Amino acid sequence: MSAGGQTTTSLEIPAVRRVAIHDAAHMPHEYSTTPGGTLFSTTPGGTRIIYERKFLLQCRTSPLARTPPNNLPDIPGVTRPLNSDSSHDTKNPVEAPTTNNHDTDVQTEEGEDAQFEMDI
Amino acid sequence: MRYAFNESLKDDDSGDHDQDQSSPKDSETIKIEDDEKEQNTTKKKMVVPGAGEHPLQYNYTFWYSRRTPGRPASTQSYEQNIKQIGSFASVEQFWRFYSHMIRPGDLTGHSDFHLFKEGIKPMWEDDANKMGGKWIIRLRKGLASRCWENLILAMLGEQFMVGEEICGAVVSVRFQEDIISIWNKTASDQGTTARIRDTLRRVLNLPPNTIMEYKTHTDSIKYVCLLSLLFSLHLLL
Repeated sequence: MSAGGQTTTSLEIPAVRRVAIHDAAHMPHEYSTTPGGTLFSTTPGGTRIIYERKFLLQCRTSPLARTPPNNLPDIPGVTRPLNSDSSHDTKNPVEAPTTNNHDTDVQTEEGEDAQFEMDI
Repeated sequence: MRYAFNESLKDDDSGDHDQDQSSPKDSETIKIEDDEKEQNTTKKKMVVPGAGEHPLQYNYTFWYSRRTPGRPASTQSYEQNIKQIGSFASVEQFWRFYSHMIRPGDLTGHSDFHLFKEGIKPMWEDDANKMGGKWIIRLRKGLASRCWENLILAMLGEQFMVGEEICGAVVSVRFQEDIISIWNKTASDQGTTARIRDTLRRVLNLPPNTIMEYKTHTDSIKYVCLLSLLFSLHLLL
């Protein structure tokens, strides 16, 4: 048994969440994952910031994550749907590459695509 | 010599934009353009996490590229094809971009999303990439959006555990299939590439017999070089 923890001066890793597990089925599937999701947000000493998928997905619904970035370039078909034709241009740091819809002729592209005909 | 000739050339399956025959100083042009953009938009070079947000280990930049239909790839220069969408430093900032972008599976045409660490261009000739390579996975249609999301969440969350090795990830939408790839710095480091492969298997939830291949960027350059040569010969004959 090691010496009592109270005599040391080390600090806890910040922001530890506690999750009660009442059933083995609630344990995570992966070895490296701790109950409740995130494995460890910071490794000791703060060398690496690690997030597990589930935690990242939870952050998606946060109000901070929902506002569109104010510098989002307006690229039809990429940063907005092609058909919703909002004609107002937001301040765009990057020019939209195309404003016309010519997605019908992509299938006529030349030979380079031939190597992709195999399917998995 | 070969290197200069091929600057900005890309092969099709790299999950990268396709190549062009543009001038060797293409990358310089891009650099200048980037600087101008930053001045014009007063966008800071380095984004920082906002208050109360969850910082990421690295900042990342989203890029988008598309080959203009109806024009041969050889006449398009790199900077005509690739656009920066934006950079982020926190989980929340990532979602802000991601939630306002079309899913890869809904992109039209011959398009790529690239997500690279800030400061690394999604080009072979970038210093971080030139000794590197990539794992590529070809996906039948319908899987790209889910696989891309799982891939980038694993990358942002530092699930690969290979130190500084990861450079970025690409999803390429093609006619009959889609391709995702993840790029790392040192192609010769087999421990790293094996670990990346194993992490990919774990996080992507791939069908059991999915084929994964590793390609070094120098091989890709040789391949495109050969194609260019054949193309030139064809023109001459």
